[in-house]
Amino acid sequence: MRRIAVTGTASFLGARIVRRLVESRGPDAVVAVDIASPPKTLAGVRHRQLDFTRPASDQQMLDVFREEDVDSVVHLAFFTNPRRDASHAHELESIGTLGLFAAAAAAGVEHVVLRSFTAVYGARGQNPNFLTEDWPLRPNPALGWACDKLEAEQHAAAFARRYPRMTVSVLRFAPLFGPRVRNFYTAVFDRRVVPVVMGYDPLIQLLHPEDALAALEAALARARGGAFNVVPKTPIPLLTALHLGDKLPLPIPHPLAYAAADALWAAGLGGAPGAFVDYARFLCVADGAKAERELGFVPRFRSREALTAYLEYRHPRVERRAAEVHA
Amino acid sequence: MSEQANVVSIRLRSRRRREPEPTADLHERLRELEAELARARAEAVPSRGEGPLVALARLLHASGGALNWANLARISRSRYFSWHSEEVDEFGYDPKFTEKVRPIFEFLYTVWWRVEAAGVENIPATGPALVVANHSGVLPWDGAMIKLAVRHEHPARRECRLLALDMFALFPFLAPLLARMGEVRASQENGERLLRRGDLVGVFPEGVKGVGKYFKDRYKLARFGRGGFVRLALRTQAPIVPCAVVGAEEIHPVLARADWVGKPVGLPYFPLTPSFPLLGPLGVAPLPTRWSIDFADPLALDGYGPDAAEDPILVNRLSEEVRSTIQRMIDGRLARRRSVWFG
Repeated sequence: MRRIAVTGTASFLGARIVRRLVESRGPDAVVAVDIASPPKTLAGVRHRQLDFTRPASDQQMLDVFREEDVDSVVHLAFFTNPRRDASHAHELESIGTLGLFAAAAAAGVEHVVLRSFTAVYGARGQNPNFLTEDWPLRPNPALGWACDKLEAEQHAAAFARRYPRMTVSVLRFAPLFGPRVRNFYTAVFDRRVVPVVMGYDPLIQLLHPEDALAALEAALARARGGAFNVVPKTPIPLLTALHLGDKLPLPIPHPLAYAAADALWAAGLGGAPGAFVDYARFLCVADGAKAERELGFVPRFRSREALTAYLEYRHPRVERRAAEVHA
Repeated sequence: MSEQANVVSIRLRSRRRREPEPTADLHERLRELEAELARARAEAVPSRGEGPLVALARLLHASGGALNWANLARISRSRYFSWHSEEVDEFGYDPKFTEKVRPIFEFLYTVWWRVEAAGVENIPATGPALVVANHSGVLPWDGAMIKLAVRHEHPARRECRLLALDMFALFPFLAPLLARMGEVRASQENGERLLRRGDLVGVFPEGVKGVGKYFKDRYKLARFGRGGFVRLALRTQAPIVPCAVVGAEEIHPVLARADWVGKPVGLPYFPLTPSFPLLGPLGVAPLPTRWSIDFADPLALDGYGPDAAEDPILVNRLSEEVRSTIQRMIDGRLARRRSVWFG
């Protein structure tokens, strides 16, 4: 029996997709690959410990793929949040992905599913309201967080070209938002006062984790090559989202916003570098029609529902009060 | 159903018959409680002798406990949602916000510019269609008036979605307002998506060259872009409805342009009119000319097939055809017009 290798199983998506695969295909069908030992919830699952940032990690990877008889890989070892240690993030995301693809090609892996981000398109004024998969990927060059993901996608595309027998599916996820998700975006909703860019109110997309897992399963089942946007049904304006969460938006003029975010980031206080302000200013909304057409993945939740689900999980009291006010 | 009703009425009657005393008792008790409450109130609030300072202190004391981030957020939330709806469409169109700001545009439509709309019925009642109009007047007032003309005079009361120039659709403060009112940044992708949904879309192919036109060039149509609107219509098989706006070209007579002021802040031009920037913010008020908006017969393109969009000669020919139609309509109106102010 050939196995599915899942990398980055200590992550939110990784742990959950492993659990789902174990439920549907049995504990022997999955091998978890991560630098950390697996959480207790994954007891009984085969596990291989591996550090992608080590020089010979591709060789180790190849051994894992050969020994475990792997035919599909789900590569989820990416940082959702911007990291201060940029060179480590680069080693893991860009170089680690390169090593993974080299090992997968050498081991004759048939299908690789790569986790990517809609943020890789880059938030720009000239973006159409709905970015399709063939739109050029142009993240802000100052934002290493997005550029590393772009490089990972470029490695994936190069390997897909060079090894036509290997199917590479790239899933570009919108920011995850929902119960139990803890990332940079949800951290914004844990503050009372949220700085926003004065005079801008872009539409944003918030993806419910249930939809993200369903998309991963659909990608594994259909094994179609190419890039796919995995996005919620409808976007939501940033200010509407903040007000629904009872946040107090603090408008900051954009020249100041970039500088202030950079200063806070450098001081170790901010959650993201200044270049991230782009995403609070311009559109970066992707179109999910291709995933529906080719993977048969239909999102169940709208951005608003993902947001409400998170708020109910995080602040049960606030939600009850809000409901009372509406009644 | 009737059986159930019978049962209920019987029960009610029987209860009323059995215990009539407690109700009277309760009324009595309520009256007592109310009297007690009135006495307590009279004692608590002294009727006279309290100056404004004391009242202020009381107010501050009462609100002191309430002045925290959570309450500010709640106030900000209720203010926000009294203007905005919680649900918008996929392009950000907010029906509640549009409803709230509509009176401003209705005043401009009926009182300020006394718009006379003709031929609105040429717009199909359902399905996609592309309204192509001349652009002028420094700020996109003409677009707002076309929207209102369609909404007021068309039997189907259709909502026209305008494709906005980058200079408006990306300008801080203006950008979110336009998106809330249903406007979308002009691009082939956005236009195609709207038309494929079956929306009525308005475009101004003159673009920046149209809005920033000099007063001396009024009613002389500029080049119609590179025919992008024709390609859009050909690909989606949407009919083109030419539209001529007369009156908008005189609301801000651009005598000169100081583009060196506008360029650094991201504006393609900086208009100098008799009133702006001389009168400051007052100079932004448009002049009360008399407007007319004419819609011509739709130009059906379904005979060409979707591949025709790749034929540049055909695209240019159709673009020129629409342009000359609009120019003819404008010239006809101008010939009949006696006065800029009274039509």
